[in-house]
Amino acid sequence: MALTRLNRIVQLSHTVSLTRPLHGSGCGLQLGAATQTEAPMESPRAVFRTSESEPASHGEQHIGQFYTIPPSQVKTIFPHGLPYRFQQQIKTFNEACLMVRKPALELIGYLKKADPTHPSVRYVLYGERGTGKSLSLCQALHHCSLQDWLILHVPDAHLWVKNCKELMASSYHRARFDQPIEASVWLKNFRVTNERFLKQIKTSQKYVWSKREFTDEGRPLGEIVDQGVTRVKNASDAVGVVLKELKAQARPGSYRLVVGVDGVNALWGRTTLRKEDRSLIDPSELTLVHNLRKMMKNDWCGGAVIATVTQTGSVFTPSSAYLPQELLGKEGFDFLDPFLPVLVPAYSEKEFESSYQYYRDRRWIQHHTGHTEEGKKELLFLSNRNPAALERLCAFL
Amino acid sequence: VLPVRWTRYNPYYLEPEPSREVYRIPVTELTDEQKAAQELKAVRPIKATPSGLTSSVFSDPTVSKFVNMMMEDGDKVLARSIITQTFESMKRKQVEKYHKAPATEKEGIECNPYTIFHQALENCKPIIGLISIQKGGKYYQVPTPLTDSRRRFLAMKWLITECRDNKHRRTHMYEKLSQELLAAFMNEGNVIKRKHDMHKMAEANRAFAHYRWW
Repeated sequence: MALTRLNRIVQLSHTVSLTRPLHGSGCGLQLGAATQTEAPMESPRAVFRTSESEPASHGEQHIGQFYTIPPSQVKTIFPHGLPYRFQQQIKTFNEACLMVRKPALELIGYLKKADPTHPSVRYVLYGERGTGKSLSLCQALHHCSLQDWLILHVPDAHLWVKNCKELMASSYHRARFDQPIEASVWLKNFRVTNERFLKQIKTSQKYVWSKREFTDEGRPLGEIVDQGVTRVKNASDAVGVVLKELKAQARPGSYRLVVGVDGVNALWGRTTLRKEDRSLIDPSELTLVHNLRKMMKNDWCGGAVIATVTQTGSVFTPSSAYLPQELLGKEGFDFLDPFLPVLVPAYSEKEFESSYQYYRDRRWIQHHTGHTEEGKKELLFLSNRNPAALERLCAFL
Repeated sequence: VLPVRWTRYNPYYLEPEPSREVYRIPVTELTDEQKAAQELKAVRPIKATPSGLTSSVFSDPTVSKFVNMMMEDGDKVLARSIITQTFESMKRKQVEKYHKAPATEKEGIECNPYTIFHQALENCKPIIGLISIQKGGKYYQVPTPLTDSRRRFLAMKWLITECRDNKHRRTHMYEKLSQELLAAFMNEGNVIKRKHDMHKMAEANRAFAHYRWW
């Protein structure tokens, strides 16, 4: 299909294909299965779903299966976290189903085994475009939320360094710039996710917002968040205060904090924002970025930092770049070093099969040839087993 | 250098055969006509394939024709993307309705965007058309039968012009098209109204039917 907008899908599927033999390691994952609803590879019709809705109890035998997240959890844990196409899918299918995949499982395993007394480990998810980094991050955050951790989720750091409608000079620091809209929106969503922690955690010093407004020492953090939401001018400073307090008080005895940032390479890249004299703004001159960078350092204990490096949405990066070194640049890589890299590959044979069966079950593949072997082979070929490409292909079929 | 498709070919050029099934038949099971066609292919040149023709199992000639009609300035990428977005939005609406409906009503909801498209097009095709014939210095609108291709052309043309002209300016084309196609599938909407108007005019001008001499 030379002239179609499958150009974009072809871009997605031009990934480095991990050629696995059909009868090789794909079947090996199933050998450990014992009690789960396992059927042989030839007819995996009912196998693509699992009834375990807690990521903590997922194991190797669940790889390739879909688990459902109840709607109440979706509303509290992910008010802003899920990618837009996944949100549309939830709305259409009337359920939120995520596939259990190896990178997320690996990440959750590390989180379970991590020692809270040691400095927080930084995990960086990387991979080609459309392989599922954001959703793996969301899966890990879902697990952390069920384990009662405090979730700090920045859904897309790239949104903070481009297309800002209102940029104002910061009142706190003369050389920096504030972004009131982005900060207040993030604070609102943060409040939805972590209601219960905001009442427990108390501020450790007095913060003065203006001549008549201040927050005393020992007040709950919820007041700072309310201050940022109501007084939009101080929103970015409120975000800074919240991050500082959470980091200072995240000791092994109290709550555990997980920082999830999608597109962390935006913090060390370039911005498209300009000052009034038309000179480009460096990311370090933005309050939000400056404060978030401080969170990414590993000088605090009792938590974890999970980040994604992505080229989608980033500015001034070539579309073929997907490795952390290329996307973070020297400055970012040195800042994040040492980190644990986790590669997110495209679907394996089994995962592709599972995804195809899920779409068929949910009546998503409607074209009559989509149900035949020929159609399935064509989908496999066109998408090159890339999750996002498959999703976009099945959308109009 | 890729062969470019000319507008006019010498009649002895043969049409290209895109479907894979034809090539998979083993040599022994070919019928006589197919054998003759194979031999002809060895001696005659073949026309260059148009860019919209594929060997994909998902290709549909009606949809390709619709894409070509929607295309402006040769931007087939844009036209095709609008059509795919239309199908996606139609499917989303219907699948959402399907999943929220109780089990008794599930059978009645049509989710396949291709069947909806074909049925809507079928519902929009006029049965009888009007033709302008000059007699005695005046032009009369004379009712006349239409060929299948003319009917299909009129249905597609009406759909596209309706969506381009008579909708709110800030809605996307795929949104407008999906609404119009779903309405036409239910035999409602402005395009069906236009078809009925055409039929009524033809009925009203019955008297002039004998002005047509073919």
